[in-house]
Amino acid sequence: MTISMKLDGAWLRAAAFATVLSVPALLAGSAVAEDYPSPDETLDWTIAFGPGGGNDIMARTIIDILNKYDLYPGDISAENRAGGSGAVGWGYLFGQAGNAYGISTTSGSFVTTPLQADTPWQPEDFTPVALLATDDLVLVVNGSSEIQNIEEFIAMAKESPVNIGGTGTVNVDFIVPTLFAQRAGFEFDYVSFNSMADQTTALLSDALDAMVGNPGEILGLIDSGELRPLVFSGQSTPAALEGVPTMGDLGYDIGVSMPRGLILTPGAPKEAQEWWIATMQQVVETPEWDEYIEKNTLTPTVLYGEEFREFLASTKSGFSEVLRSVGAID
Amino acid sequence: MDIFSDLMMGLSVAITPINMVYLLVGAMVGMIVGVIPGFGPSAGLAILLPITFGMDPIGAIMMLAAIYYGAMYGGTITSILLNTPGESATVASTFDGFPLAKKGRAGPALVMQAVASFVGGTVGVILITVLAPLFAQVSRSFGPPEYFLLAMMGMLTLIVMIGSNWKLGLLSALIGFALGTVGVDLETGQGRYTFGSAELIGGIYFIPIAIGLFGLGELFYAFYQGLHKTGTGSIVQYDKEERFWPTAQDWISTRMTMARHSVLGFVVGVIPGAGATIASLMAYSTERSISKNPEKFGKGEMAGLVAPETANNAASSGAMIPLLTLGIPGSASTAVLLAAFLLWGLRPGPLFMEQNPELAWGLIASMYLGNMALLTISIFAIPLFVKLIKVPYRILGPTVLVICTLGTFSVNASFVETYLMFGAGIAGFFMRLYGFSPAALVLALVLGPLAEEALRQTLTISRGSFGIFIDRPASLSIIGVTIALVVLLPLLNRFGKSAGDAEKAGT
Amino acid sequence: MRIGFLLVVLAGAVCYTYVAFVDLAFLTRTGRLGPGFFPRIVGVAMIAFTIWALVEAIGKQRDVNADTSGWRDAFILMGLAVGYAVLLRLFGGFPATVVYLALALSILNRGKHAQNAVMVVAIPSAVYLLFDRMLNANMPPALFELPFL
Repeated sequence: MTISMKLDGAWLRAAAFATVLSVPALLAGSAVAEDYPSPDETLDWTIAFGPGGGNDIMARTIIDILNKYDLYPGDISAENRAGGSGAVGWGYLFGQAGNAYGISTTSGSFVTTPLQADTPWQPEDFTPVALLATDDLVLVVNGSSEIQNIEEFIAMAKESPVNIGGTGTVNVDFIVPTLFAQRAGFEFDYVSFNSMADQTTALLSDALDAMVGNPGEILGLIDSGELRPLVFSGQSTPAALEGVPTMGDLGYDIGVSMPRGLILTPGAPKEAQEWWIATMQQVVETPEWDEYIEKNTLTPTVLYGEEFREFLASTKSGFSEVLRSVGAID
Repeated sequence: MDIFSDLMMGLSVAITPINMVYLLVGAMVGMIVGVIPGFGPSAGLAILLPITFGMDPIGAIMMLAAIYYGAMYGGTITSILLNTPGESATVASTFDGFPLAKKGRAGPALVMQAVASFVGGTVGVILITVLAPLFAQVSRSFGPPEYFLLAMMGMLTLIVMIGSNWKLGLLSALIGFALGTVGVDLETGQGRYTFGSAELIGGIYFIPIAIGLFGLGELFYAFYQGLHKTGTGSIVQYDKEERFWPTAQDWISTRMTMARHSVLGFVVGVIPGAGATIASLMAYSTERSISKNPEKFGKGEMAGLVAPETANNAASSGAMIPLLTLGIPGSASTAVLLAAFLLWGLRPGPLFMEQNPELAWGLIASMYLGNMALLTISIFAIPLFVKLIKVPYRILGPTVLVICTLGTFSVNASFVETYLMFGAGIAGFFMRLYGFSPAALVLALVLGPLAEEALRQTLTISRGSFGIFIDRPASLSIIGVTIALVVLLPLLNRFGKSAGDAEKAGT
Repeated sequence: MRIGFLLVVLAGAVCYTYVAFVDLAFLTRTGRLGPGFFPRIVGVAMIAFTIWALVEAIGKQRDVNADTSGWRDAFILMGLAVGYAVLLRLFGGFPATVVYLALALSILNRGKHAQNAVMVVAIPSAVYLLFDRMLNANMPPALFELPFL
């Protein structure tokens, strides 16, 4: 990491002058794209969050795989450009419009941050490479609860409204139980927490009836029986939650999840997009990738190119619909 | 004894030459990071986490724990010397730490804080070793009602901080509460005072405000007083007559303080989410209310520094309990450690210590060693820091401004936060000048959102009823303890002693 | 000055309270405490206390003997700080620090050119090494690059 690179990282300038810059950058882009990727170009990989977070881990996993199997010929420089719930990092990428060597990984904030703030970019603006996995949620109750399974839970909730905890309101944690409750026909009070740790403590202290959360962080508590998983929101139940039905199994499919994928700058050359799609098809076949999916209890859901863009657009509109109906956003 | 053999096993895992190197490097790096304003343990850990990628888990976790502890030790140094807390847990340390330094007792204050940190940290580890399963029960009995009451207990400190000019003190606290409401409303998801800025979604971060109000405000005020014109002028004096070592009086008068607050700090630290900040504030106000000379607090009373320092380090040990026994991070720092565990494919939870005895006990053993290493490093490093304050203020002042600025920027790479810090610095200068209380503002900023969120969560859960506070045993016992603290202790203490102490505290 | 500062606080409090009453609901649609509940209470209390402090300050105005000797230096440092903030945004961490320190030391540590020159180079370099190299932390990026740095 040299200082000149750091000085380059002026995303605001880039965002402000994006329209001006994009024309020459596009030309430059198509010139190099003939033999994309050129080994002389350094790939500028933006991680829109700090080290150690989910986005960071995913980016570094992919980079490790690219390096291990020699899939990318040049150097890869990964930079954590954190701030503003991802707005800084993806804003930086947005400002590089047309550059074939700007890339980033997405996570839930990629959809939710533009809903909460006036970001100059929208998720559909970027050149989609691939959706690689989704973050899905598990609904759990305290291990000492009388509720043994999801049918009992729904029956109880229909009798008297329950409360369900989750992290944040402009978040999949709120959307998933809301849609699920609509489909299953019960009512609940959503209790919003700042972190998974806060809500888990609240559930263990019997303040909450149930909560939703990413299984990865609470697997230990599920294994030991402190928490009892009832239902999973993804398309297929991960191995660690064997025996837990999905919402789809119950006939209440909600089709909302957080996209973990890969994007290029807006208007990146077609060759670059195609090259990355082909490369990611190899990456998801590696044992390292399987290990990553399993370790982080993600749902492997793979969509390439334009399909990923459609997925982002429909996720975003699904979110804003639910959030608007409860008055969280205008 | 089972625990003993476990601990011995842990020590045998921890004491290898390479692990000792990791431990020492971690402790030193942690301390350096902690000294930089803006970098508390959590920011330090997050930034240094990538260093440990590719190391074996035991060495890595020892190094991370050492960074965590080192930053806790280092953070107080700037609180004492520059009135600039590196993180919320050391705000309470500025209350008496900085006045001590101003009085020319920087050396003894630094030594005592290192000793207090050592005692707090070590007692904390002993309690983890012996009583981890028991305290795991404590950490699982806390829900929103209890957090609300805890925040209220923390706010008792606010009353102490408001000081002599209660109108301006209260106004300062109100400004802090107002700043605390900025950000996306947790319950409804609606933006409050964010004006479309993505940087403000998460609210106003406490660090830039504290660095601005305390650090820069103090700097501007020192220039206002003309300290930079005197030859070796400095905010804090280094009195040549005064010895570097604490006096016998310092040791004797703070013995019981350390004992009390290592236990109190640990117990509060065990509660996930409350952690070191509330522990240090509670320690400060408790110590003041039971002290024989509360009027000296805020003017450089050693017990007023030792109490929060012991408590915040004991609390940082306590925060390991929910992490190790439940897999729940009790603080921002332990959240980074949790991320590291997940990264290595471990599965933190109630079975963690059973499934990974070498790692868990190696970590616990390394905490004993880390505290010892840090006490030693501190004793050697303190004279260097004390020398630093002999640099003429006209040079030190502008340099401190650089470090505060870049420290603030690098935590979240945010220009908005950097500007907030400058704004808070200028506001802090006027607040000092006109008798406001910057400390009350910062405390309100930390505690306000905690209290508001917990209250609203509680009322959502109870469907609007306040009965929940007495229905739950845990919250009922907190109410009992609070009443005891507020009413009984001062009564007992002042019984037979002349009342009418002037309420003067704050910076 | 005291009155001026209080007027600034008052202006802030009024804006804050205005937003609390206009944009933020007192109760949620389910009847719980809404996003505007605390802001409204805090805002009104802030206005009340500021006006109270203002009235007192105006009353006491004559008693305050105007000691303005220290103002100049405090304002110089504040001005330098604001300038530094602007430079950071424009030219990035390292160049801004060099320029700011050069200015600050030439004003505050007047006449000692050699000493100042050493500091101007040594401090930013040390900070750069610590933050960028050792800790791999973020330094402010530049909006415009200076050709000579």
